[in-house]
Amino acid sequence: MPTIITCFKWVVDESYIRQGTAGELDFSVVDYRISDYDRNAIEEAMRLKAIYGGEVLALTAGVPEATKSIKDALSRGPDRAFFAVDPSFGGLEPAQTAALLAAVVKAHITPYDLILCGEGSGDLYAQQVGPRLAEHLGIPSISFVQKVDIQEGKVIAERRVEEGIEVVAATLPALVTVLPDINVPRIPGVKDTLMASKKPVLSLKKEDLPPIPEPYLQTLEMKTAKLSRACEKFGSDDAEINRFLNALRKKAAI
Amino acid sequence: MGGIWIVAEKKEHALELLSIGRFLGNKMGTNLSVFSWRDQDACFDYIAHGADEVLLPTPPAADQSIDVLLPVIAGEAQMHHPDAIFFSATARCKDLAARLAARLSAGLCSNCIGLSYDEGAKNIIMERLAYGGAAIQKVACRIRPVMATIPPGTFARGDSDTGRKGQCRELPAPPTSALKIIELKKRTREIKDITEARVIVAAGRGFEKQEDLTLVRQLADRLEGEIGCTRPVSEENRWLPVELCIGLSGVQVKPDLYFGLGVSGQVQHVTGIRNARVIAAVNKDENAPIFSVADLGIVGDIYDVVPKLLQALNKG
Repeated sequence: MPTIITCFKWVVDESYIRQGTAGELDFSVVDYRISDYDRNAIEEAMRLKAIYGGEVLALTAGVPEATKSIKDALSRGPDRAFFAVDPSFGGLEPAQTAALLAAVVKAHITPYDLILCGEGSGDLYAQQVGPRLAEHLGIPSISFVQKVDIQEGKVIAERRVEEGIEVVAATLPALVTVLPDINVPRIPGVKDTLMASKKPVLSLKKEDLPPIPEPYLQTLEMKTAKLSRACEKFGSDDAEINRFLNALRKKAAI
Repeated sequence: MGGIWIVAEKKEHALELLSIGRFLGNKMGTNLSVFSWRDQDACFDYIAHGADEVLLPTPPAADQSIDVLLPVIAGEAQMHHPDAIFFSATARCKDLAARLAARLSAGLCSNCIGLSYDEGAKNIIMERLAYGGAAIQKVACRIRPVMATIPPGTFARGDSDTGRKGQCRELPAPPTSALKIIELKKRTREIKDITEARVIVAAGRGFEKQEDLTLVRQLADRLEGEIGCTRPVSEENRWLPVELCIGLSGVQVKPDLYFGLGVSGQVQHVTGIRNARVIAAVNKDENAPIFSVADLGIVGDIYDVVPKLLQALNKG
């Protein structure tokens, strides 16, 4: 029966980000949540478990404040969680996150059969952690997958490429990153949340893990991507509709 | 050694990257190389478009995934120490780029939408979107090679100079892939590529049922445009093919007119319409975020407004 690892990230809910006076990002009222894409990865792991049995392990790296995310992840079904936690594990770049996750997998979750990740994170959307993690572990990776199955020690996946769908097979263990339309993630109920508190969590501190690389990238600037368009609003009666169409004509848009 | 390297699956993408690569190469005084495994006869074209060297790995067999190129490119990089490697951000190449970056212990700027050279700092500056498109992040690499994946269509193809000189070099055959391609299901039905459409009418969550999308089709037809949609319409409702989904996880469009119907304007979608010349929208919620990024907006119910628009257009 397969051991499936599902990775997730606790991210800023971007709809709460405000624009500061100088165009800087204002995070003062933000809330956090499990990255949308990772919810699909967790759900897919649970779907496979429902068919093949085995165990689903949730894995994340983050700051102590992300402890909330563990219960959230476990309420979505996984049996146990692994949490690489340190105040310095915030704002990591993909290379660092992948190195951390690889270290936890190697030391604490080997052997395993399949690793599932979201196609990218809700905040940086670099789409790197999955394939980088696979490279650290020396296993095959299949990205942008819309359908996945396990058959006779292999993972069979439909990956979406520019020309259509490529059906690929790889010997387990392997890593798969899933697209958001692969499933509809469950909404945990009260009972799921209660059960989640009783599930085992292994927290690993910085001292328990090998050192991670220094950042390779330097962020020189992070500014709000504002579209400076002053919206002219119109009503919906006939006169307003005509005024609207004339405005479009004036802009030579129609 | 050094140099700027281009890796792309398709010739048209390689040509776009050669154009920005040549620009940076001239500023940095370095050579430009391009990997070509599908179009072995494209050497002349690549050289005419700015390549100094065309590297020719043996094309993978039909059942081999392009991840077989990983050891080939990594081997070349460990031998020749490129200054930068730019990948076309197609699905397979994004995977390849991330794995190569991990193997070379290098940084990677994903989905880079702007490149420039800081002559003072002697560094390549890269721009990308973050937080679902709410922010623009400017990054530089602390170590070499500088790596980035660049979405197709980000840079325009340059002019061809048939007098340019360059060389082609064959690379060793790749090992066997860990991935086995069982089947490539090419798209059977022809789906419009809306990235070049002049007018796009986009359907959002405001539509109650699939049949109601005829309103979108009618308006698009009347305006001689194409239809597009937001992610929930294609991925949750599955009312339209994913190829028509505009936004961060879909396509980026640059029409003369983008017309959103029942589109709320979440950042992930708005990211895909940043480059539209005129943005118009109809939404019944006057506080919908789409109105803060639109040029013109009608506050009203799409079921009431769209028929009125069609009627007025047919009259005038």
